[in-house]
Amino acid sequence: MNQAAAHLHWQSGAGLEQSEFFAEGMHCANCARSIRTRVGALPGVQKVDVNLTTTRVSVAWDPLVQRLGAVLEEIQRLGFKPVPLSGAAAEAARRSERRGMQKRIGLAGLVAMQMSMYTVGLYAGALSGIDPWIAQLLRVTSMLLAVPVLFYSGSPFLRGAWHDLRRRSLGMDVPVAAALLLAFAASVINTWRGQGQVYFDSVAMFVFFLLLGRYVEMNVRRGSLDAGEALARSLPARVTRLLAHGGNEKVALEQVQAGDRLLVARGAVVPVDGVLAEGFALVDESLITGESLPVTRGAGATLPGGAINLGAPCTLVARHGARESTLANMVALIERSQSERPPQALAADRAASHFVLWIVILAAVVTCAWLIVDPARAFEATLAVLVVTCPCALSLATPVALAAATTRLARQGVLITRASALERLAAIDTVVLDKTGTLTEQRMQLGAAEYLGNAAPEQLLAIAASLEQHSTHPLATAFTCASSARVPVERVSELSGQGLEGEIAGTRWRIGRQDYVAQLAGAGPPGAAAPDDERVWLGSGAGYAAAFEIIDSLRPEAAAGAQRLRLLGLDLIIASGDRQATVQGIARALGIAEAHGRLDPQAKLALIRTVQQRGHKVLMVGDGINDGPVLAAADVSGAMGSGAAIAHAAADMLLMNESLGTVGTAVEVARGAARLVAANLRWALIYNLCAVPLAALGLVPPWLAAVGMSASSLYVVWRAHRFARSPV
Amino acid sequence: MSISLLLIPLALVLLAAAVGAFFWAVDNDQFEDLDTVGTAALDLDPPVAEPPQADSD
Repeated sequence: MNQAAAHLHWQSGAGLEQSEFFAEGMHCANCARSIRTRVGALPGVQKVDVNLTTTRVSVAWDPLVQRLGAVLEEIQRLGFKPVPLSGAAAEAARRSERRGMQKRIGLAGLVAMQMSMYTVGLYAGALSGIDPWIAQLLRVTSMLLAVPVLFYSGSPFLRGAWHDLRRRSLGMDVPVAAALLLAFAASVINTWRGQGQVYFDSVAMFVFFLLLGRYVEMNVRRGSLDAGEALARSLPARVTRLLAHGGNEKVALEQVQAGDRLLVARGAVVPVDGVLAEGFALVDESLITGESLPVTRGAGATLPGGAINLGAPCTLVARHGARESTLANMVALIERSQSERPPQALAADRAASHFVLWIVILAAVVTCAWLIVDPARAFEATLAVLVVTCPCALSLATPVALAAATTRLARQGVLITRASALERLAAIDTVVLDKTGTLTEQRMQLGAAEYLGNAAPEQLLAIAASLEQHSTHPLATAFTCASSARVPVERVSELSGQGLEGEIAGTRWRIGRQDYVAQLAGAGPPGAAAPDDERVWLGSGAGYAAAFEIIDSLRPEAAAGAQRLRLLGLDLIIASGDRQATVQGIARALGIAEAHGRLDPQAKLALIRTVQQRGHKVLMVGDGINDGPVLAAADVSGAMGSGAAIAHAAADMLLMNESLGTVGTAVEVARGAARLVAANLRWALIYNLCAVPLAALGLVPPWLAAVGMSASSLYVVWRAHRFARSPV
Repeated sequence: MSISLLLIPLALVLLAAAVGAFFWAVDNDQFEDLDTVGTAALDLDPPVAEPPQADSD
């Protein structure tokens, strides 16, 4: 068993083998059920677990009876794509972190419940009289219970405070840890003395509520990381490597090294960036570049990992291992945005840090004041001030709102790659669209056709359609849809990325690129000096017969998307490199006043600068290739599609789903997040302004302070969570 | 009130049992997937039959 595959495949205890993978394409309870029943019915399969949320399937089988291949084939037959877990080790680490958190919360919660009963006993006893030894028993029991809560459940706060202090900064863990330790120490002393107030229940409750807040925040944050993982999943798990002496072997993607020769089957995903070894390849690079049309690549050209091979099988020489591939870069980008703290959150952190300093000073003042007024209540009031004014709500308000927005956008196909993007996105008022592909159907239709011979157009169209029905090229549908008439074709052959050849009624016909048809029809097409690659040519030994223009019609939802952007108060500008006529046509159809065609990157840059000088904040939506400076110049940049180019470009977000409506969604969510941040901060401020004076006056008992503080941060987190879950 | 001497330790034992049960549940994937199981009751197909125990256990 090789190391890469060991992540997802292991021997389990009872002579069984176990494997885990994602089943791509699973999106409903029904899918999960069909996998469970059908795979479970295979002989030798002992256990099938399907997790609908993560699309993770875990199978245990008896190796003597069953093979993994058959299990995977069954899942494929059901219409799902089994994909190995990417970064299974990272996932395992996350899982153990999550479990540790769950245990801490569970322990703190259960103990807090138990302890509150003892506290009720102590309070009731203080009022109506209680045997001193029973009171002492309750105190000692509470103390014993508080130890694991403080030092196990509360360890994240203690450790966090310790790290903060060592870095000489005042994070929000510092007052929490101070309050916890103070309350615990004072209670231990009072227990030792056998009299006075104990605060063990406050400690437990405090830890419980705070952990709960952290746990929710952690989960909200994780949501968008999963989106990056989904992206990484579009790569194949195993690739076919050609051996030097002929023959081939299947190896895990992680084992691919630079220089390996890989076979990419028709319809398969190019596993890593590589150079085409020979011949031609027709690839769909839309995932990487956002380029809607399939492109033909010749020998020596680079194919990006993640591209789909639409033509004949081709041989690829890997340029580097899987880790450096384009898609790996994209995932890294997303992860970077997650690890980065947005400037807003940093500012909130700094504010919280100052706030902590003031709280500590205030607590000292309160202690002194109470020592003069009523020394017996000094400790309680100090504790209440420390606990109730926890800056958590203040510090949490921004990051949870932004994390929630990121998660929500990830579900809509918008990946935020820079932490500060949301903040800037909320402020924009102009959208500059680079790519007209966003607005068009990307389903090819037959446009104007030029018929050169004497044959009837219908007949030529029938010939073209009959030839093209043998092709899987996306352009072929333009012909097969345009004509329903068919003539019998014999001896069809396809030259990948060039065209098709076939024999009809004894005549050889070719359809495809002009230079390909030229080999049959003879050089020098009528009326064209340079090879005309924009049109599809049809020809026979008798010469050229027709040239077809393939067009792309406007997407039906493009108008709605444009309208939505207008309703959001955004100006729409098209700045495209396409032909002026095409651009104007699209702009007219969508009611966009400003449209510029035939712009080179410099002109686009100048346009953006001009718009900015008019005082507008610009969102530039481009395709991420050759427009890095343009994207960088805009206030916020979005790149359609995704890919290597993007990793080097300056895009703040990736729009995975190339529709205009998505842009509106992104802006709406960013604005919602900005409102949420403001509301959360306002709430945190009001809460603190009300709670601090009350606590300082000794009107808030420590347990109530713990509840109030936790409730205030939970409220903030809950609102963010609701925002993340709300439909668009 | 001497009964407290018995009841309080008893409560501690119950608490320990509850904590133990919770930890067991966490370690045994009970909280890993809260969505799929929720729809299991709506499953019309009969559940997968328990496979016959292999003698190799």
